[in-house]
Amino acid sequence: MRIEKCYFCSGPVYPGHGMMFVRNDCKSFRFCRSKCHKNFKKKRNPRKTRWTKAFRKASGKELTVDNALEFEKRRNMPVKYNRAIWDKTVEAMKRVEEIKRKRQARFIMNRLKKGKLLEKEEAITEVKKNIHLIRAPHAGKAKQLEAKMVQKLQEDVDMADEDL
Amino acid sequence: MALPLLSRSLAGLLVESSSITHQRTFSVSAVAAAIQKMTRVRVVDNSSLGNTPYHRAPRVIHVYTQNGIGKVGDKVLLAIKGQKKKALIVGHKMPGDRMTPRFDSNNVVLIEDNGNPTGTRIKVPIPTHLRKHEGEYSKVLAIANAFV
Repeated sequence: MRIEKCYFCSGPVYPGHGMMFVRNDCKSFRFCRSKCHKNFKKKRNPRKTRWTKAFRKASGKELTVDNALEFEKRRNMPVKYNRAIWDKTVEAMKRVEEIKRKRQARFIMNRLKKGKLLEKEEAITEVKKNIHLIRAPHAGKAKQLEAKMVQKLQEDVDMADEDL
Repeated sequence: MALPLLSRSLAGLLVESSSITHQRTFSVSAVAAAIQKMTRVRVVDNSSLGNTPYHRAPRVIHVYTQNGIGKVGDKVLLAIKGQKKKALIVGHKMPGDRMTPRFDSNNVVLIEDNGNPTGTRIKVPIPTHLRKHEGEYSKVLAIANAFV
């Protein structure tokens, strides 16, 4: 028994589910459900249909190159049965799955962090543009003028002190 | 009034059912028909009879089943190049059992009367559920390259 991958959405196809289609060039396609099968028949490209894993990987929305993903690749060499290896493999699978999930999650979080920064900048520019909705245009002008005059007088005094 | 009518129709039914058990009915539903008489098929082995071009495609002229419908694993009689030849169905376009693959064309392997294949190699993928007829078609499975 083997859990295959759906050709269209790259989801798991468990035994007893889905459909298999063999084309005349001897290439076989497995589908997890009729949604994927129907899209395939409509000749849609999975790399362009936004909800598929193929699209997400092709457009850099998800982790593509990673050591943890190497374990999933299909190997065509059978391994001689050894009970110790079998047990260790099961444990290794659990650990690898854990690590893989964390790495994938971190990748997505990093990708989305930029959005937060952009959002903040956008908010700042918006406030600056529409400050007239919050504060009256000549609100602090009088105080500002006063402060400037005080500063200027202070400077004059300083210069006069220097001269002396 | 209703009772005698009922009894007459029942008697008619009884007569009919006894005659039907001696008849072989053919399938009349087009929906459930995979390979039947007059279907054009594609020969997938490397026999010369199957691969030499002819101005008429190989056609099924008889299906060796109870109803005239051929699914994967059934024997049929083909008319190829003006001669009759038996063949084994190895894949059809119609969706079959769950967990069996659907093929893009109606594939057929030429066979002798004793079940030996005419060609020496089959390159097209063969469904693995043919293996349950291990005894009859073992020679055909032996010359197959790829299984699906």
